[in-house]
Amino acid sequence: MSFLRFIEPNRVTSRGELRMLGAVWLGALLIGWANSASGVLPSPAEVMRALRSLIFEQGLFAHLSSSLYTSLLALVWAGVLSALLCYSAVLPAFRPLSTLIGNLRFWGFAGVSVAFTLWFHGGRELKVALLTFGMTGFFVTGLRDELRVIPRERYDYARALGMNEWRVAWEVVILGTCDRFLDLMRQNAAMGWMLLTMVEALVRSDGGIGVLLANQSKHLDLASIAALQTVIFGVGLLQDLALASLKRVLCPWALLKVEDQSHGLPL
Amino acid sequence: MACRYELKEILLTLDDLGLSLGGKAILSGVSACVRNVTRPGVLQGQIVGVLGPSGVGKTQLFRLLSGLSHPDRGRVLVGAKQQPVARGDVGVVAQAYPLFEHYSVLDNLMVAARQHGLSKAEARTQANAMLARFALQECASAYPATLSGGQRQRVAIAQQLIRPKPLLLMDEPFSGLDLAMVREVCALLAEISLHNEELTTVIVTHDINAALSIADTLWLLGRPRAPGGKTEGARIVHTIDLMERGLAWHPDVMHAPEFESTKREVEQRFAAL
Repeated sequence: MSFLRFIEPNRVTSRGELRMLGAVWLGALLIGWANSASGVLPSPAEVMRALRSLIFEQGLFAHLSSSLYTSLLALVWAGVLSALLCYSAVLPAFRPLSTLIGNLRFWGFAGVSVAFTLWFHGGRELKVALLTFGMTGFFVTGLRDELRVIPRERYDYARALGMNEWRVAWEVVILGTCDRFLDLMRQNAAMGWMLLTMVEALVRSDGGIGVLLANQSKHLDLASIAALQTVIFGVGLLQDLALASLKRVLCPWALLKVEDQSHGLPL
Repeated sequence: MACRYELKEILLTLDDLGLSLGGKAILSGVSACVRNVTRPGVLQGQIVGVLGPSGVGKTQLFRLLSGLSHPDRGRVLVGAKQQPVARGDVGVVAQAYPLFEHYSVLDNLMVAARQHGLSKAEARTQANAMLARFALQECASAYPATLSGGQRQRVAIAQQLIRPKPLLLMDEPFSGLDLAMVREVCALLAEISLHNEELTTVIVTHDINAALSIADTLWLLGRPRAPGGKTEGARIVHTIDLMERGLAWHPDVMHAPEFESTKREVEQRFAAL
């Protein structure tokens, strides 16, 4: 009877209940995986053996730290560029720039990589540039949308307090949306982390987890590929958790706002 | 139960205000003034209720009075010196009680105080005094998102009154409140008025009962019917002096004999608009 409540539509669950449900699903997936190993899907034991080999024989941690560093640099660049482009749009002269850069997300990645290779000559710089390009278009589009929906009442409120337009821009546009900026940073970090393996497979200098993955793909080592995918997945989740914690520390009010507006669905 | 009072210098003037938006006349020829009301032995501000049907232009008039918009014609003069209104000169409490969500309650008050040139220490002193006056000490370090509707309203008012201002504008302060809360807000506004002799509070509302309970003057905003069916902008079509009728500052105004008749009069005037 008590489990039936989990199939009632729109039922609000506590965090503890949600964790328990998550653990049940994870256990079910692991059991299903262990019992369905085949030539295409390596078993958990094979994946663990491959992971050990990747760590002790192929320098997984060195590659991983290189990837994390590249990803972090690209995220900082994308964040800074997007912030500059979008927040400068408070000045009419700069408004077309954010529109233009936001639309660059439709530009083909492959063609850009050739131009960037000629420009940066390879190495980490090239990887960071490609990732930054990949993220910035989406970051700018998301941030512009956030700024566009700031209600007029917020501007009026700051103006009615006697603030000049620079201060209004600081309080309403920049500080007032910094929680959303961190949300967008979190989304783009996830996207950048997904793009990273592709970029590292394209630009192999300085190593990286994408290089390892490309090597294992070449040899069709499915157990190692699965091990690397698991590592990429786990590190991606940890990165997401770290950025969520950063938001909790820097913008504690934003969490209260979400709790206030949601109906307790901890999704 | 009329109280003795005197009308002294002009504190607020609406001088032939006109405003058009997208070629449509919203306000035209809005003229009125508020004089300093003095009562023997009582420190007393003025409270004006602006009543009008939905869409008549109350919000636009509110924006003109706050200095957030400029009229196409005419001017708004505030204070004993009758200076043209500029944004920041008057207190504005909007309907949703906006506050800076990224600041605590104390910081919200301090931002407003510092905006008027106070040092950090002075601003903190003033902010703490306002927290005490509005019974908000326990919320000092809370973020606005955690406040109840009533607390949020008090913070929004406290923020506007942290520095002396000649005019406090309130947009629909009774909207969505039950009767008990309306009485509480009326009591709060009366208390604010009692502390600031030169403060004129203008309440834009569609709640006739609440406006009659708290105001000393009512302005009825409406669009007079023009000959030939031509649309004219809204203006103050009628002013009701509640002091003269003995309905201002009345401890039990809702049970005063003139209350119901005045309410009916307002309703009839609305129906005729």
